[in-house]
Amino acid sequence: MDAVLELDGVTHRYGATVALDTVDLRVMPGECVALLGPNGAGKTTLTSLVTGLLSPRSGRIVVAGGDPARAATRARLGVVQQRVGWPRTLTVAEVVHGAAVRAGASRLHVEPALAEVGLAELRRRRAAKLSGGQQQRLQLAMALVASPTLLVLDEPTTGLDAATRRDFWTTLATRRDRGSGVLLATHQLDEAAAVADRVVVLAHGRVVAVDTPNGLTSRLADRIVSARTCLDVANLTNLPGVLDLDATDGRLRASTTQPERLVRHLLDHDPSLGDLRVEAVGLEHAVLHLTEGAQTPDGTTPVDRARPRPTTEVHA
Amino acid sequence: MSTTTTTGAGAAITRPDTTTRPPARTGRVLANELREELLAVIREPTTLFFTVAMPVGFFAMFVGLWGTEPEGTTNVAAMMLATFGAFGVIGVALMTPGIGVAEDRERGWLRVKRVSATPLPVTIAAKVLACMPHALGVVGAMSLLALVLAEPGISTVAWLRVLMVLVLGSLPFALVGLAVGFLASPNAATAVLMALYIPSSVASGLWMPLDMLPDALARLAPALPTYHLGQLAVSQLEGRAGLEHAAALLAFAVVAAGGAALAYRRASP
Repeated sequence: MDAVLELDGVTHRYGATVALDTVDLRVMPGECVALLGPNGAGKTTLTSLVTGLLSPRSGRIVVAGGDPARAATRARLGVVQQRVGWPRTLTVAEVVHGAAVRAGASRLHVEPALAEVGLAELRRRRAAKLSGGQQQRLQLAMALVASPTLLVLDEPTTGLDAATRRDFWTTLATRRDRGSGVLLATHQLDEAAAVADRVVVLAHGRVVAVDTPNGLTSRLADRIVSARTCLDVANLTNLPGVLDLDATDGRLRASTTQPERLVRHLLDHDPSLGDLRVEAVGLEHAVLHLTEGAQTPDGTTPVDRARPRPTTEVHA
Repeated sequence: MSTTTTTGAGAAITRPDTTTRPPARTGRVLANELREELLAVIREPTTLFFTVAMPVGFFAMFVGLWGTEPEGTTNVAAMMLATFGAFGVIGVALMTPGIGVAEDRERGWLRVKRVSATPLPVTIAAKVLACMPHALGVVGAMSLLALVLAEPGISTVAWLRVLMVLVLGSLPFALVGLAVGFLASPNAATAVLMALYIPSSVASGLWMPLDMLPDALARLAPALPTYHLGQLAVSQLEGRAGLEHAAALLAFAVVAAGGAALAYRRASP
């Protein structure tokens, strides 16, 4: 089975600044790969290279079997950006029709695409008059109208309400089932954890980890211990392994590298202990851990990017 | 026509035919781009005011004042139709696509086009061709005013030749407008293009004959493409081909096309 996106040793520079450094990446048909990392990590550069806006200084990019610099290749690509300002004079149906024409698809695909994203009733409305959520659905209709081999989504659900986000991902899940690959660049890590098959963590233009969301979080020894307790939690900060500690209204939440020791302490010292839970850390924690210690291409770890020291906050 | 591919997961993806012969598809893309440009004019006709109404208004004023004056072998009204016609179509060609593309770029619509399968020459060609109806409108309105306010006394053949060279000769100016629009914000593009448009039109004798201007400006005029378009139009009235002016405009078109393509590639995505 051929990948719908292949990057081999892709490097890109802006002047002397290395934005991407020998990046390798594959997206298979039906797979969703999320690009994660802080601002400046290289996510936007990578999506710009994949969509043909930029050309790599070195390395190879193949999108749906072709070079994204060629218009014919981009016909097999669907793109959703964080925000688009629409022409004031075009209707919803005209915008999607234009996308179909540019991708070489028949106008017969316009109505099904509008229906798929729930905009059929608004087909005659000016695109610029739509709400934010409707505009993102319109972008999705444009991206889907030619049944793309690869969808590139750049912060596609920023600013959308929960119901609109759910509908967005439901529509995409249907397309993934039919074979479209998805490359998702996002800062919304909960969303990435929910929809991505694999996550690629970028820092300083380098890939620092590629794994499933669960695989990434299970790499860390850190666990979150939470419980209802009447103990003076300030005394827990001295326990070995405790990194962060928060207590609000009698509920303790602690991050620790030695969860067994903390749990044993709580059980030994609080007979009224209740609702005890031990959980793996979230994706956000894992990504922060991976990116804050990453080295820049010149081999240094900037001081301003160093992981902040654990702090202890006691609210109750 | 559509194709069905079986994926590794066993699911089937039905994909519309995107393998239409490239020239046919390019033609469809160009037609759609032109349609969208023309819809913008029809739905927001106020955009025509500055590009059409202003030069036509100037022409009405000048031809009303001096259109019946005797002037050598060529009627003054006819001369004004050629020179103000050049002024009008240059304004249309410089401003309409240039400001339009600057607005598209600012709102992110140009990025949508760039990541789509629209080839660069199609984007540029559509913007350039879309200003032709404006140019025809300008020359048509001026011709009607000339008939009403003066007696241009030119044959239909000569008028058609003037119309043809003005509309075709305006196209290189659209490329200059695009080059500015690809690099500047809408406000900055308007300012830059106006700064190019008005002084070069005056210095080329499009508002008043060169012999009424200071010598320095008259000597500068042959270096300006605006001068060559005006003189090419005047040549048609005098029954000359004006090939030297056509050649100058062609050279200008080549340089302007290169500049527009370079600016497109340098435009922030």
